Amino acid sequence: MFLRNYWYVAASAAEIGRKPFARMILGEPVVFFRIEDGAPVAFEDRCAHRHLPLSMGKLVGDRLQCHYHGLQFDRTGQCVRIPGQELIPPSAKVKTYPVTERHRWVWIWMGDPALADPARITDFHWLDDPAWGAKASYLHVKANWQLVVDNLLDLTHLAFVHESTIGNAALAEHATVKVTRAPNNVVVTRWIIDQPAPPTFVKVGGFTSNVDRWQIIDFVPPAFLRLDVGATPTGTGAPEGKRVDGITMRNLNAITPETEKTSHYFWGQAHDFEPHNAELTEKIFRQIETAFHEDVEVFSAQQRNLDLCPDPPQVDINADTGVIQARRILQRLHDEERAALHVTAAE
Amino acid sequence: MLSGWLRVAVLADLTDADAAPLAVKLGELPIALYRLDGKVYAIDDVCTHEFALLSQGFVEGGAIECPLHQARFDIATGRCLSGPATVDLRTYEVKIDGGEVFVRMPKPK
Repeated sequence: MFLRNYWYVAASAAEIGRKPFARMILGEPVVFFRIEDGAPVAFEDRCAHRHLPLSMGKLVGDRLQCHYHGLQFDRTGQCVRIPGQELIPPSAKVKTYPVTERHRWVWIWMGDPALADPARITDFHWLDDPAWGAKASYLHVKANWQLVVDNLLDLTHLAFVHESTIGNAALAEHATVKVTRAPNNVVVTRWIIDQPAPPTFVKVGGFTSNVDRWQIIDFVPPAFLRLDVGATPTGTGAPEGKRVDGITMRNLNAITPETEKTSHYFWGQAHDFEPHNAELTEKIFRQIETAFHEDVEVFSAQQRNLDLCPDPPQVDINADTGVIQARRILQRLHDEERAALHVTAAE
Repeated sequence: MLSGWLRVAVLADLTDADAAPLAVKLGELPIALYRLDGKVYAIDDVCTHEFALLSQGFVEGGAIECPLHQARFDIATGRCLSGPATVDLRTYEVKIDGGEVFVRMPKPK
């Protein structure tokens, strides 16, 4: 199940340059490059002539030249040169995708190009806001994208998967959880009051006694999860909105389906304390990266079992509230997209 | 054996504004308190379908929706309005006294 009429993160800005870059998105092969003025461009990664991936070709000025027979395509996807032939058939063109660059990521629109309004790009300003220190990265996931969404909406797993970094038993046993929902949004708010800080928080926040810890998970479809996380010394008023002597971070996640069984996981970690301390940014990033590698192992193991038995019975527990609400939203949006397609087809 | 009226909460912990249910124990029994239009209701907090805590669910139009499988129950009567649950919730008598909420422990059958 894919949702098409959304902006997805396709690559980090640094990945796209003057060398064609191939990446499969929502099951479609796409080639990315920058034209000479620096603007990113995305084509279907398949020559209109004999289907060789255009990513095997090279850039000639603003044109992408196929490696096989040298056909050249301009930034609109139109073939503008066929070696040894003067006339160019109008059908000699490749599909292009709307792309735009924001928050150090290159975003792609996989649906109806007429609806591709950059104003609909999900806000990830923490990644390039000077008031925050941040570092982003990429993980390849051998699992369906919804397993990653599930993971981030139920953070009780931190107590078990990430006990060496961001987790401890208190997270699962002593959290007060509130889930609120809107038509296209789920927010899971978790408070863990007067409990020991997990290892990562001790390392970067220097806590020596119990803390009040929050995890506020903001989900927007299809797969954007922005987490407001942090802790303050217990009893200093964080639950009432007064965050003093503690640490506040944003854990930022944008998942892009590659296929039904593999995903691109773009993520970053931002912190508002000592934002210009690059060493600290790196230290925090490394802690979270360790945890995320542990998650990636979980996802691929889940997917292997799902491959053996695609729709096994499963039990839901109280911690699944956010996960279930998000899955319902995604299913509804998917049904709406399909219904709209049928209406268009019937017209 | 506890019996009669038990103090389970202070009224100030219940707000009309976001209709947030409050999970409390009536003796050993998990129940949830709801304040709707100024009146307080006490009903079972465990979904009759698969043990979800209904107080973690969603209040809409005088009904509580189970957080897991979307069964709905009427808050005032405990009546099951839609599946997958089929069994109603028990309701409990409530009285407010001096800003405190008392719920009557049902007599053992």
